[in-house]
Amino acid sequence: MSFVDEEIVTRDSTKADAKGRLGEAAQLIREVVRFHPRLFLIAVLGAALFAVCTVASSIGLKWMIDRVILVRFESGKIDLGALVAGSVIVIGIGLLRALGVVIRRSFAGRTEWRTCETITEKVIDHIVGQPIKWHRQKMTGDIVARCGVDADASVAILAPLPFSTSVVVMMVVSASWMLYVDIPLGLLAVIVFPILLALNIGYQRRIDRFYNVAQKELGTLSEAVHESFDGVMVVKSFGAEVRETERLAKISLRLKDARISAIGVRSVFEAMLDVVPTLINILLIVLGAYRVKAGEMSVGDLSSFIYLFTLLIFPLRIIGYLFSEIPHSVAGWRRICEVLDEQILDDPNLKIHRASDGIAIEIRELCFSHQDGTQVLNDLSMKIESGKIVALVGATGSGKSTLLHLISGLIEPSSGSVAVQEGGVALVFQEAFLFAESLRYNITLDSDISTERVMKAITTAQCQDFVSDLEQGLETVMGERGVSLSGGQRQRVALARAIAHDRPVLLLDDTTSALDPKTESNVIGGLRGISTGHTLLIVASRPSTIALADEVLFMADGRIVDRGTHESLLKTSEHYRLLISAFEHDRKEL
Amino acid sequence: MNEPIGRFDTARTLNRGFNVAPALAKGIGLTFLLALIGSLARVVVPVLMQQTIDNGLQPGNIRVDFILQMCAFAAASVVVAAFALRKAVLRLGVGAEEGLYSMRVKLFDHIHRLSLADHNDERRGALVSRVTSDIETLTMFFSWGALVWLLDGSLMFVVACVMLAYDWILALVAFVVSAPLFLVLRNLQKRLVAAYGLAREHNAELLGSVSELISGTETLKAYQAHRPMVVRSKKAVRKRADSQIRAGVIGAFLFPSGEVFAVFTIVAIIVVGVFRGVDSGLTAGSMVGFVFLTYRFLEPIAEFTEVVDQTQTAVAGLRRVLSVLDTPTGPTAPTKPISLPATPLSIDVSDVSFSYSSRIDNHDDDLPVLRHISFTIPAQQHVALVGSSGSGKTTLAKLIARFADPTLGAISLGGVNLKRIDNDELRRRLVVVPQEPFLFADSVANNLYFASPGCSRDDLIRVIEQLELTDWVDSLPKGLDTFVGQRGSAISAGERQLVALARAALTNPDVLILDEATSAVDAIAEVRLAKALSAISEGRTTISIAHRLSTAARADRVIVLEGGLVTEDGSHEELLSNNREYAKIYSQWLSATSVTEKI
Repeated sequence: MSFVDEEIVTRDSTKADAKGRLGEAAQLIREVVRFHPRLFLIAVLGAALFAVCTVASSIGLKWMIDRVILVRFESGKIDLGALVAGSVIVIGIGLLRALGVVIRRSFAGRTEWRTCETITEKVIDHIVGQPIKWHRQKMTGDIVARCGVDADASVAILAPLPFSTSVVVMMVVSASWMLYVDIPLGLLAVIVFPILLALNIGYQRRIDRFYNVAQKELGTLSEAVHESFDGVMVVKSFGAEVRETERLAKISLRLKDARISAIGVRSVFEAMLDVVPTLINILLIVLGAYRVKAGEMSVGDLSSFIYLFTLLIFPLRIIGYLFSEIPHSVAGWRRICEVLDEQILDDPNLKIHRASDGIAIEIRELCFSHQDGTQVLNDLSMKIESGKIVALVGATGSGKSTLLHLISGLIEPSSGSVAVQEGGVALVFQEAFLFAESLRYNITLDSDISTERVMKAITTAQCQDFVSDLEQGLETVMGERGVSLSGGQRQRVALARAIAHDRPVLLLDDTTSALDPKTESNVIGGLRGISTGHTLLIVASRPSTIALADEVLFMADGRIVDRGTHESLLKTSEHYRLLISAFEHDRKEL
Repeated sequence: MNEPIGRFDTARTLNRGFNVAPALAKGIGLTFLLALIGSLARVVVPVLMQQTIDNGLQPGNIRVDFILQMCAFAAASVVVAAFALRKAVLRLGVGAEEGLYSMRVKLFDHIHRLSLADHNDERRGALVSRVTSDIETLTMFFSWGALVWLLDGSLMFVVACVMLAYDWILALVAFVVSAPLFLVLRNLQKRLVAAYGLAREHNAELLGSVSELISGTETLKAYQAHRPMVVRSKKAVRKRADSQIRAGVIGAFLFPSGEVFAVFTIVAIIVVGVFRGVDSGLTAGSMVGFVFLTYRFLEPIAEFTEVVDQTQTAVAGLRRVLSVLDTPTGPTAPTKPISLPATPLSIDVSDVSFSYSSRIDNHDDDLPVLRHISFTIPAQQHVALVGSSGSGKTTLAKLIARFADPTLGAISLGGVNLKRIDNDELRRRLVVVPQEPFLFADSVANNLYFASPGCSRDDLIRVIEQLELTDWVDSLPKGLDTFVGQRGSAISAGERQLVALARAALTNPDVLILDEATSAVDAIAEVRLAKALSAISEGRTTISIAHRLSTAARADRVIVLEGGLVTEDGSHEELLSNNREYAKIYSQWLSATSVTEKI
């Protein structure tokens, strides 16, 4: 899953690095805010309302204390008018303050998730635009992570951002107000801002180290658990249960130790966060008493001052969470950018030429090498006439699948050209892939194919025996949450998909090997029957499959080394005979 | 097993959790006491304000020395409270980590001891998430939610006590006015939890849709059919965003509700206090103190609302973890094991029936996989089990290897019931080579050592020679030290089989159970495999689950299973002459694999 981004975060937070990270965070904020600036602005305005009302509420309280409470308890009078007015002010400001919170939170959420949506859509478009070559270099889980956890992580910074803005507004407004009320007292109160900020940052730095270690151990543990449970058969076969449990326990122990170290740091921080503001509060009362004695401020002033200070502490305490999100968000955003900044490679399908009349496939001087330089196809040329059934035979690793993928325009040759008949090819892969969707979807892939044609394809692909058992017929959902099919049945569905798409050329990559010989010959016979114009190129290993073909292409060392009917190749090619009679060898050893 | 854990309420689930991992609850009383002392720091300021206003700042009588004394006392108690708080946080965290660690280890142990019947592919992912993500939800809970409950819970308790001590009438006013808040919270909370649940569901849908789009890329590209799928995925993206936003809006109303009620409560206290006046014993200072206390009292509410969802997730995670621990483990160890005879071992299967009861997921679909199977395999005989997929042949092999116990009937080895054989001895004498042999991400040699950790490198080489695999090992880039990759992905399927065979041979077992691979390997690998197979089964009681009928033809005896029943039993030749199902599939196989015949 997302262990990779953890790696990135793991880098030691030296000072220079922290500076770079801050810069990166600033850039991240600029970039993600840009997607939905209006939503973000509303959230910030809500936050500002909250900040202003927080300061105003302390003024309201001062009014209440001076005009109502002290008046009542010192002179015994009840000033009804002041009581009503004060109540309305306190409640009104309180409601406005709450409204600010509602606006801020709901629009911050809206900004966060709309931005996430925008980013995810961009990533999906980009990924889908990339050809198979790109996909083969990536792990499925990794790409999914970029659309999921990475996108989520990169926008996570948006949620607390308006709040932080409001904290800044609040700090400025309240600092001004406190200094206006009383300069010495105000100065003392303002000291708390940098102290809490420094505490927060220092804490994040220290705890990051332990969290990173813990995160790494968690990754190791998760991998080891996967392996150990996947291999449970082996573990049990050799009675190694206790050994395996001990191995996993050892990793868990390291995880536990890292986390306990983190808790040590955290417990000190939690206590400091509580004690430091309270001690300053006590100092404020001491100094405040002197100021009141000196006649510089009223008891109401002092009380509202302390009240405002109390209100400020809570937001200042949790602003630390913003800092804790930053590395996570930056890592996520970096991984998103990796995808978005990559150039979209050309679609190799566009380079497939149109073959001349009467020819299904024509290949000239085709070469293909893997990324690591190993050559798979070496100057391969061939021509297949329309309407023929051709078997492609060769040892494992001789490049048969690669050749089919090149013909269907999934991958790009290193050199040489491929031409196919107008209307294109339909490829059935060695491993059938079924979507967790309806049977109909799996066959049509949402293109406009009539039910009649789908049913015909099902019959031709010999699926009717199990399809007729499905209660919901074509609408039956396949896969995890639906009906699970056997390997042979899945292959036949994939075959029905190819047939329904009605392309003039069908490429079968060892598709029918999971079928029993009888079904296989029915399938191929059926294909021959549906239209004489169809051309079939079949990768085959079973003699019974090969026997169904008009002609055999024999592949070795990345080229077609021999060609002819099965019988003639048996006579002329020693290698062919050796390969094809492996089963007979097997039997002769009896 | 008693009542299923799935029906336990929160309290009972927690209770069970504490029983499983006592460290979680150990000394929780003291931790709570420390948290109570720790929260004193937060009531110090209101009390100090009251004292200062009432006794220090009387108009015309300002007693600075009194205020200083009070403040010094307050500061001292704040420092004490801080130490208590730190200790409380530490104790809670360490207890949680110790508890979760022991819970993890218990899970590893339990899962490794589960019957293989509970270890099929569908459940494996679930088992992995039990020990990883489910326990992680508990870790997250203990590092935040539990802390909030502990600290804020004690804070509310302490504040309520102080309020009552000051003036019980005002305290009651405060409680009564803020009481409806809890109703509002409950209502919103329910909606919020439901909204988050929906958001999680939509998130899973989104990930499912995207992962399908990506794993199906080759297919979609081959048919240029990715547009509709992209539209689907984007719809899922939008749906997820919508539900997250909805949950966010509910949260936005929930969060400040505590503060709204605080405002009303403060006003109510002032109004009531003002009307009662000095004669009731109230002072200006205690009024101000009350205002501060009210804020303190309702402040934690916002945080509570944030952690309720997390708490429910954690309890659900715990419930799932416990339900795994409640799944009975596989074959139980014998109390008085009987040791096996030193001579070659025969196998007796007598009236064996078996059905998979899905014990983890609590499904009730009991499918009888085997029905009243009986046969005897004399020592050193080579038997091939033949049958279509789903005929029960793999299950039967698992029962003979005692990866699970039969539902009915008994199996014995060398005349001793499997249930009476010590597990270590059984594993030394009987080895299984599965169809898809599993290799660890390590070298060939270390994968071999896994079978018998005590053996030497010479032992490895000797076994390799016995199986005629020396030339193969030499052909590997680093010989025995070649890295096999994740799950053996760096070598071919045929080669993985070879490693598995050598691994089995290394333990020199008396009984061998081989599940043949269905996947085709090329001719050379095929021949090598066949040679190694016959070398390893030499002189051993062997059961092959045969997919290639040449293996069946080579065996001393063939047993055909169909629908959980033995339908044919005899030598290859006998069965052919019987001319029943076996003869039919054999002739089919023959024609499919013969070079010259046409169908």
